[in-house]
Amino acid sequence: MRSSKNTLARVPPNGRPAKQRRAHAAVETPPRFYGTPLPGVRPEELSGTLVVIEGTDGSGRSTQISLLTEWLESQGFAVQTMGLRRSYLVGEDIDALLAENAVTRMTLALMYSTDFFDQLERRILPALRSGLIVLADRYIFTLIARAAVRGIGRDYLHGIYETALRPDLTFWLNVRPEIAFDREFKKSQTISYWESGRDMSLSNDLFQSFIRYQSMIKREFEYLSKRHGFLELDGESSVSAVNRVLRKRIASHLGIRSTQYKPSHALSHLWR
Amino acid sequence: MATITPDIAPAADPSTAKQPTTKRDYPGALVVVEGIDGSGKSTQLYLLKRWLEIGGYRIHFTEWNSSPLVKSATRRGKQRRLLTPTTFSLLHAADFADRCERQIMPLLHGGYLVLADRYIYTAFARDAARGCSPHWLRNLYGFAPAPDITFYFRAPLDVAVNRIVAGRPKLKYYEAGMDLGISLDRSESFRIFQERILNNYDQMVETDHFVLMDGTVRVNKLQKLMRQIVSEKIALQQFAPKKK
Repeated sequence: MRSSKNTLARVPPNGRPAKQRRAHAAVETPPRFYGTPLPGVRPEELSGTLVVIEGTDGSGRSTQISLLTEWLESQGFAVQTMGLRRSYLVGEDIDALLAENAVTRMTLALMYSTDFFDQLERRILPALRSGLIVLADRYIFTLIARAAVRGIGRDYLHGIYETALRPDLTFWLNVRPEIAFDREFKKSQTISYWESGRDMSLSNDLFQSFIRYQSMIKREFEYLSKRHGFLELDGESSVSAVNRVLRKRIASHLGIRSTQYKPSHALSHLWR
Repeated sequence: MATITPDIAPAADPSTAKQPTTKRDYPGALVVVEGIDGSGKSTQLYLLKRWLEIGGYRIHFTEWNSSPLVKSATRRGKQRRLLTPTTFSLLHAADFADRCERQIMPLLHGGYLVLADRYIYTAFARDAARGCSPHWLRNLYGFAPAPDITFYFRAPLDVAVNRIVAGRPKLKYYEAGMDLGISLDRSESFRIFQERILNNYDQMVETDHFVLMDGTVRVNKLQKLMRQIVSEKIALQQFAPKKK
């Protein structure tokens, strides 16, 4: 499975401080792309930083990204965000496919990869060329995990994304499926069809289906975490505690001294 | 869970690129035609289809880029010229996957003779001409079943290009490969783009077991040959109408 031939291979745990990274750039920094770079892209001109936050629904990703954006902007860094189904090219088409439930797994996986590369090539790479910090609300790892639990080969999936950009930092907000269920239910009073993996006929009971599906996804993430060197965080701790760890790692990567932060009035409701 | 997708270990060396899966666990058969625009492949496949239809065989005809699911995205991308080589390729792969999972595979399992006007080799030849890595493309389409026969219609570049240019008032932007920035002149760009595609096709003749068809031969003569090859390589009685 984990063939050494695969260019989207294991990397050492990322997140070394910025200064050290530059000093040893030639030896230590893994290449910016997993395999062959995208056609027409020169890796050396990408001066920005790509920070990925992964985690299931209810793991607190979006909350953390709002807070990190505010903190980074207060420190004078310009931020660009990306996420699933946000491309101009196919974002709405995927929404429509999901609403119909008629789509098959390979088509869906490839539509998601189109969505991903459209954002990467037309929004993220220009942002990184301009030295921005990109905060990714999920990345290729969610896409690989979702497709892999539906029986699509991991090597096949890694092969599609081998032309993707390797993140500078990848955080995984790990929460137990039961906790994710509580949080999601509290938020929307129901559980979504896709987040409970109902297309996979796991159980007729929504709760059971959700738990089984999210457990499968979690196992896939455990595998990906080892393969790609995720920085795993306890997504069940308080928002402020998780945020403190994120700030510390990002600050050390960017060479920011102060990690003091208190959300503005507009975001204070998120600070639990 | 039943899977049509084998676990694919990407090839170590791009020159030993992976071949489509040859494992056949279905009673159907797949015949595809490939070749550049103007090579005469669609005409020949149409005639083959008519022959089989008239004979009452269980057949299904499918063509490249025809699925309604991704049509709006393809249209949007093409109109606004938003497509990069990668997204162009992925969108067509998604479209093909939809056809593969919802038509081709069920029909092959249901014992149909499936006729495809263009198949994955179109993507290999065309997207590589746009700059996608051949190795990446082989992996991308690794879920596609291997054809029983791949007819490759080959016509000299001039013949093919003249057939297309003569019949069309204006070549479309992506069709002419204008996104590659080879030339500002559409006919010129189209010609160079088609030449690259033709070269890519030529390189697959041996590795992918193409049956080479001379696109300059008279239509009825070529069709006779095509029918003969199909009869030899495929057990047609398997698809014949059942006698009551």
